[in-house]
Amino acid sequence: MTIKVKIPTLLRALTGDQKEVETTGGTIGEIIESLEQQYPGIRERLMSGDEVHKFMNIYVNEDDIRFRERLATAVSPSDTITILPAVAGG
Amino acid sequence: MTAGERLPSVFSLAQIQPVSAIVDINNFFSNCAIVGNFQHASPALQPVVKALLFQCRALGIQVENHSLMDAGTNLPLTFITPDFESVECRFSFWSDSEQRAGCEATLQAATGLMSVHGRATGRAQPIPLPYLSTVSATLALQACLATALARRRGLGISRSRVSMASAGLLCAGQYLAGATTREDAEEILPGHHDAGLRPPFRSADGVRFELETLSADPWRRLCDALGLEPVEAGRGWQSFLQRYAKGICPLPERLHKRLAKLSFAQVTRICGEAGVALCRQRTIEERARDSDVEELLRAGPWQLHPAIPTDTPLPPPREQDQPLSGLTVVESCRRIQGPMAGHLLSLLGARVVRIEPPGGDPLRGMPPLVADCSARFDALNHHKEVIEIDIKSAAGRAQLVELVSDAQVFLHNWAPGKAEELGLDYRQLAAASPGLVYTHAGAWGQLDGALDIPGTDFTVQAYSGLADLIGRAGGHGGGTLFTALDLLGGILAAQGVLLGLLSRSFCHRGGQANTSLLGAATLLSQSHLHACRMGTALLEPALADACKNLVIENLRDLPQQSHFNGDLHTDSYTRVTPPWRFS
Repeated sequence: MTIKVKIPTLLRALTGDQKEVETTGGTIGEIIESLEQQYPGIRERLMSGDEVHKFMNIYVNEDDIRFRERLATAVSPSDTITILPAVAGG
Repeated sequence: MTAGERLPSVFSLAQIQPVSAIVDINNFFSNCAIVGNFQHASPALQPVVKALLFQCRALGIQVENHSLMDAGTNLPLTFITPDFESVECRFSFWSDSEQRAGCEATLQAATGLMSVHGRATGRAQPIPLPYLSTVSATLALQACLATALARRRGLGISRSRVSMASAGLLCAGQYLAGATTREDAEEILPGHHDAGLRPPFRSADGVRFELETLSADPWRRLCDALGLEPVEAGRGWQSFLQRYAKGICPLPERLHKRLAKLSFAQVTRICGEAGVALCRQRTIEERARDSDVEELLRAGPWQLHPAIPTDTPLPPPREQDQPLSGLTVVESCRRIQGPMAGHLLSLLGARVVRIEPPGGDPLRGMPPLVADCSARFDALNHHKEVIEIDIKSAAGRAQLVELVSDAQVFLHNWAPGKAEELGLDYRQLAAASPGLVYTHAGAWGQLDGALDIPGTDFTVQAYSGLADLIGRAGGHGGGTLFTALDLLGGILAAQGVLLGLLSRSFCHRGGQANTSLLGAATLLSQSHLHACRMGTALLEPALADACKNLVIENLRDLPQQSHFNGDLHTDSYTRVTPPWRFS
């Protein structure tokens, strides 16, 4: 199942400067593993241990996966995955 | 020209101790003086004078009145150092015309601050505090300190200019960057978001409070406990997380309603279980009774600790027109407050080396982007060199110490205790760079460690009584979502660095110069705190209504204002030029 993933600027050095890439997987966890196969090093930038890094947000369409099923969140080919760094102040 | 030649009629040289080479650090600032016509300042200038003299008196700088100097639409100042050298700073409301009248409200209107504050308060309206008066007075004193340091280092600078307009634009800079990119520019106008859906929250027993968490998981746990749907919780999280950048925070109505059904004690328990920090919105009267207030009112928002003498002179300047030319600052800061301090030092000509984690600061990716970097991030960081270092690793820490060994300033905004934990506290870094000025742009200052609340702009506004003051005056119940304290805190941290560098140039000692968001809040509310502590009525006049035709609602209109021609520069987005002019 081919899924489109929007890549933030910070990670484009790993994707050959591509803003959007295509990958496969039925869940976010599977997608990250596929991305790692295609673009080695990307998993480390997205994950901290077994969880998505605190400073990275991953959305399925408009929904943050932390408020769905996290890495087990299911995706379908019509979904767009967006990776965006988080912002906080202080 | 010396002070004696310039001001024979008003200034007794006997008051300042002559110096040959080294000045006693404990008396350094009391051997400096500032001269201006403070007593006859026009009503519009009085809040600026009040903020300026508060800072001078806190530092021990002698204040001399000169009744023949201007004090109507601009305020010329003379700053005298212990070697009798004098430098001048001219303060005005506008950069393009020193004679044009202005006031706090007018400049809040014209520079877009009323618009940013109004994004979450229902309409463009002033922040009901002497905010720009305080910022611009601080920038004026910075100009004096920087020019005096330049003179001391042999640069050909003796005069400076600062305006309240340039201070306002400096504060609006990040929002302006986000609003003026060619693609995906933000257009967030006042009055377009329901002021009833933003924080603070209110419990069933009438307590107003702020929530804070920098992670999604505690937020989700809290929303789960309150019975919100996950999708609703997720959308609320986006809004909550982005309030620092956007100045708005519309949250699900159900979140407010569920919290409003609980007593404050119940809210405290639920937040504690979820791991979300809670800060009750206190009144200024409560704040006035805090243990740290007396010291902050007496000694100002800086904690200065001079230390280790050094024979190492400051490096020579490279450019003649930039006060900090030739000096190096190492900055390890995130978000807004610390980067703002480094930004100001870079605008003064210092080489600022910014430490970022491997892969770069995540905020570089915050939209809208310009040439692959967040415009609002670039607005605070574009002059800096960047080195990626993992300070959690021993090799990374060694690399940082190596960098600091060639620097004169180290600036960080780490959480309390982290510097000691990393082995990168003042003592350890000063060993690598004798004479180092070490500045922590912190959150709670003396109360660091005493409060178990993350010190962010909005929790500090709530704790300090500012949110209550602002919310009562504006009718929306809470503080400003414009990051007023992060920005002023950063400006004060840069001030701390300049105080440290100037005293080092005379006293041959470096030291620590720490500041905090709570110190910034205390400075902004000093008149209210004094009145509370003395049991007297507040003498501060209410802000005048700004002329309606001056209110900038859409920040995109700022670059078109001809009176800001010298203050703004538009390239891939509109950038704010340095707030001072030196000559």
